[in-house]
Amino acid sequence: MNGKFMNANRSAKPLACIFALLLLMLPQCAYAADEEWVLDQSTLTYHVSHPLHQTEGVSHATRGKGVCHEGQCDFLIAVPVKSFDSGDSNRDLHMLQVTKGAEFPMVTVRTRLPESDSKSATIYADLEIQFAGQTAHYKQVPFQLTVEGSKSKITGTIPATLSDFKIEPPTLLTLPVKNELPIRVEMTWHRQ
Amino acid sequence: MRRERTAWQSWLRANMKLRFRPKALRPKKENVILAAGASLTFNAELSLLPSAPQAQPQTPANNAPNAPPGNKAPSLGDLGFSPADTKSNPKEQALLDKRTHMLKIHQRLGLITTIPMIASVATSINAGGRNTSNTDRTVHMILGSATAGLYFTTAYFAIRAPRVEGAKSRGPIRFHKAMAWIHGPGMILTPILGALAYSQKNNGERVHGIAKAHGPVAIVTAGAFGAALLSVSLKF
Repeated sequence: MNGKFMNANRSAKPLACIFALLLLMLPQCAYAADEEWVLDQSTLTYHVSHPLHQTEGVSHATRGKGVCHEGQCDFLIAVPVKSFDSGDSNRDLHMLQVTKGAEFPMVTVRTRLPESDSKSATIYADLEIQFAGQTAHYKQVPFQLTVEGSKSKITGTIPATLSDFKIEPPTLLTLPVKNELPIRVEMTWHRQ
Repeated sequence: MRRERTAWQSWLRANMKLRFRPKALRPKKENVILAAGASLTFNAELSLLPSAPQAQPQTPANNAPNAPPGNKAPSLGDLGFSPADTKSNPKEQALLDKRTHMLKIHQRLGLITTIPMIASVATSINAGGRNTSNTDRTVHMILGSATAGLYFTTAYFAIRAPRVEGAKSRGPIRFHKAMAWIHGPGMILTPILGALAYSQKNNGERVHGIAKAHGPVAIVTAGAFGAALLSVSLKF
């Protein structure tokens, strides 16, 4: 009887181990089933003010991805610096030079948002922007969120400045541009 | 009791060694000698072992702001950019820096050139005609020469500025460059025609022949130069 009990105990041990392993794996499986967001369309527009000019540079080359995990979504948005078009090739090349666009060819934006924010009309994002070899943080930047079917449209303006990225203001006819460099964001995301 | 203390102090004097050995710190031995009734001050300097891990500034790699370690934040590689898009190119940056530097000089010299150019146009009123003095013509000639000298130096910095591969001219810069096909030849012709006219005037002759074109050529040249300057300065 005692021997039988011992045998039963021995066979139960691997079962218990497998059960424990399954239990450990469960949260992993649950995370794997978490959602991902993919950027469909985007328009990023920077605005530069000069006493003689008001200039805008537009890029549609942004790519982005969001990974949701335990109720939090981590987003990464990136755009090549040289993809911005202001309608003047000379100005674009100058912009590429002052922003060290060949040395640091990408602008990346990272943010973390609660998954529940996908139902809000306004979301406030803490942004971490890497640009021109510098990293700047912007707290609580408001974005308008419009849900259209399976797609979510985000619009807002990032209050960036040239000094945030240690960019020397370019000059035209010896007059420098303003330090403010607001970036208008229009993005359409969809869940995967 | 006193004897005991003395004996204890003697033992300390002979034997006391302090050893600091916290984790990751180099062990260091120091001898301490205590005199009777003296207070003890011990200054210790701690040095990190070269192999010990040192505190590094926190650089966010793939993590979102305030993200805990080990999360599944997406990386740049997940976005599908080609390596050519994301690769740093210091050589191209150096080329852009050189280009901008040369074009900045081009811009400044271009602005400076406008000063003697306007002055030569202004003095041309007194330089021509029958009753003008030799001084007026000489002043006009000097200003014209200064304009030509500055103009060609300005042009040099635009022509020699490095070209960026694959960059096509778009926008006002196209007009700016097109104007160079007018004011460039104009700036070669104007001084030549001016020299002919100056020589004819000094010989007491009326300006004749091809030299008569000096004035109209100069006006067209100055107009094209002004238009080129304004095309990159003001928004049309």
